[in-house]
Amino acid sequence: MMRSSAASLALGYVVLGMTALVMFAAPLWYAWHVTIQEGRAEILQADAQRLADVFRRDGADGLKSFIDARVRMQIAGERILLLTDSAFHPLAGNLAAWPRNVPDSPGSYTLDVEIEHHVSHATLVHVALPGGYNLLVGRDLGMFAPLETRFWYGLTTAVAVLLIAGTLGGLLTRRALMSRIHSIRQTISAIIHGDLKHRLPTHQRGDELDTLTRTINGMLDQIELLVHGVSNVSNSIAHDLRTPLAELRSRLEELALIRPQPQETFAEIDAAVADVDRVIRIFDALLRLAEIDAGMRRSGFVMVDVAALAAAAVEFYTPAAELRHIDIGFESEGPLHVSGDPVLLAQALGNLIDNALKYAPEHGTIDVGVRAAADGAARITVVDNGPGIADDEKSKVVERFYRGDASRGTPGVGLGLSLVQAVAKLHGSTLLLSDRHPGLCASLALPADAQPPPASPSGTGARPVDLPAAAAAST
Amino acid sequence: MKVLLVEDNERVAQFVIKGLHEAGHTADHAGNGRDGMFLAASSPYDVIIMDRMLPGEIDGLSIIEVLRKAGTRTPILILSALSAVDERIRGLRSGGDDYLTKPFAFGELLARLDALRRRAQGIDREGPLTVGDLHLDPLTRKVVRGDRAIALQPREFKLLEYLMRHAGQVVTRTMLLENVWDYHFDPQTNVVDVHISKLRQKIDAERERPLLRTVRNAGYMVTAGDVQ
Repeated sequence: MMRSSAASLALGYVVLGMTALVMFAAPLWYAWHVTIQEGRAEILQADAQRLADVFRRDGADGLKSFIDARVRMQIAGERILLLTDSAFHPLAGNLAAWPRNVPDSPGSYTLDVEIEHHVSHATLVHVALPGGYNLLVGRDLGMFAPLETRFWYGLTTAVAVLLIAGTLGGLLTRRALMSRIHSIRQTISAIIHGDLKHRLPTHQRGDELDTLTRTINGMLDQIELLVHGVSNVSNSIAHDLRTPLAELRSRLEELALIRPQPQETFAEIDAAVADVDRVIRIFDALLRLAEIDAGMRRSGFVMVDVAALAAAAVEFYTPAAELRHIDIGFESEGPLHVSGDPVLLAQALGNLIDNALKYAPEHGTIDVGVRAAADGAARITVVDNGPGIADDEKSKVVERFYRGDASRGTPGVGLGLSLVQAVAKLHGSTLLLSDRHPGLCASLALPADAQPPPASPSGTGARPVDLPAAAAAST
Repeated sequence: MKVLLVEDNERVAQFVIKGLHEAGHTADHAGNGRDGMFLAASSPYDVIIMDRMLPGEIDGLSIIEVLRKAGTRTPILILSALSAVDERIRGLRSGGDDYLTKPFAFGELLARLDALRRRAQGIDREGPLTVGDLHLDPLTRKVVRGDRAIALQPREFKLLEYLMRHAGQVVTRTMLLENVWDYHFDPQTNVVDVHISKLRQKIDAERERPLLRTVRNAGYMVTAGDVQ
């Protein structure tokens, strides 16, 4: 039970409740015992004084009959009245004898006295009258005892209820929490042992733990995606890197074996260098993808004019398109600023256009558009009239190294669209591919204020120094 | 050109020094940070090539920082296997002038060294540029070959201007992408070559002596002289 946050919380609340009870009861107790008792003594004093006045006016007999009359009228036991002579023999009143423990000297006392064979708590005022007479006026407090008792009962019950409810509540809370934490722990240990399919159980309650669980599940989704991506990539790397490496190896081996004429040797060496360059290209593309996936580039977020970026990209690819008699159209609604990484956005745009160029037929058309969406996002669309992508392949083409049937025989390493997708994700967007019958429409909507989360490890507000604010600035 | 190479990998160092000698330059080599720092501080060089990860206590970036604090203004090219954009930024922030990642083509290294030295010598001044009978005026934005006026689009003009500022030097595709288009990535296609051939059609008309040459396995060069 110790070291449980639920238990210590419950204990804390119990202590708090008791403190509140004590703070409520203490002033009551004080008022009862001090203030009211003092007032009562004063009333008794005044009463005694009045009786003494009667004595002075009418003498001992007058007082005797006055007291007798009072006793007769009184409700029994409420008020103690006793007149005695100098030897403390009762003359009048409702007491049979002078109570033993009341001192002989005049004054006011609160003590337990024996009145009519029972002990009672009482406040008494003893007044000495001229001629040795003694007057005792008092009030039996015994009738208040049940009240006091009930007060104590109430207080004790409240404390008990508080203790039991607190302990029970603490235990129940702890058990409920422990059972949820236990299931979370089980799931997590399953995940630690490599089964990434598991997700933490969520409830429809939407409480704090649920919110946390949902966040953790989101994190697990992301991790699974990354791990899945990594295993996919390693398979693809194995294939795509092995091919040029195998070519390179056989080329070099052949050179060493055959030792051909210098002219031929040089040609082979050139080809070998080209093989190496291919490998380096794949490496560079992979490293860049990894860099984007890790969110490292978020430190480079600035305000970027996407329209200008797209215009520059269209201009960059136009001569290449003209070679194949492809018509690139560009349409934008003037400057459109979003928060993003200019280098990556330029590369994503380039890859989209490059991809469209690969698949558009000779004399075909490509349309690039940048429009403002209703929510302030910038929607970039690149449409070609090529063969398009079959529905079941659409999700695959953004996977690393995946190359559609239509792409066999075209240059490229099959990372173009996955890079676009990675860049889109970094900017809080996603790459959408849709059919244009014929052709493909690739579009991504960039939110105007894709604030890079501050969690970036290298996020010291670094702005690229070697990468001035986009191609846009120089047009 | 006198070059200092600070590089711990013997093979890479030999390859670079041999290449520099063949290109007609002299080169000193330091195999660790301590020697590199000593050489860089004690004798004047035109350009320093600095590896980042070096044996010993001092790494390349620390050397650059110390040199810059001491007031050394020699252009420094950082040569490193660390290729992430943030690493490049760190390298350039520390005082490096250019950043080339390993593995690299020697032609790329040489072209960048030439560009660095030229920039340090203050050759990149505003003012009309002339190569043979080709004239380009950055202020009026007029291009004339002999007595033939050539109309260029803005990007073509920028491309030609960059090539002419580095007349007689090899300019690589990557350098063109970075400096003319401000693209810091590999477009994976031969788009730059297409731009060059379009420009060449305008500059080098038939029966004119070609000024815009392609340098095999390296890049391009604008020159009025002969290229082997």
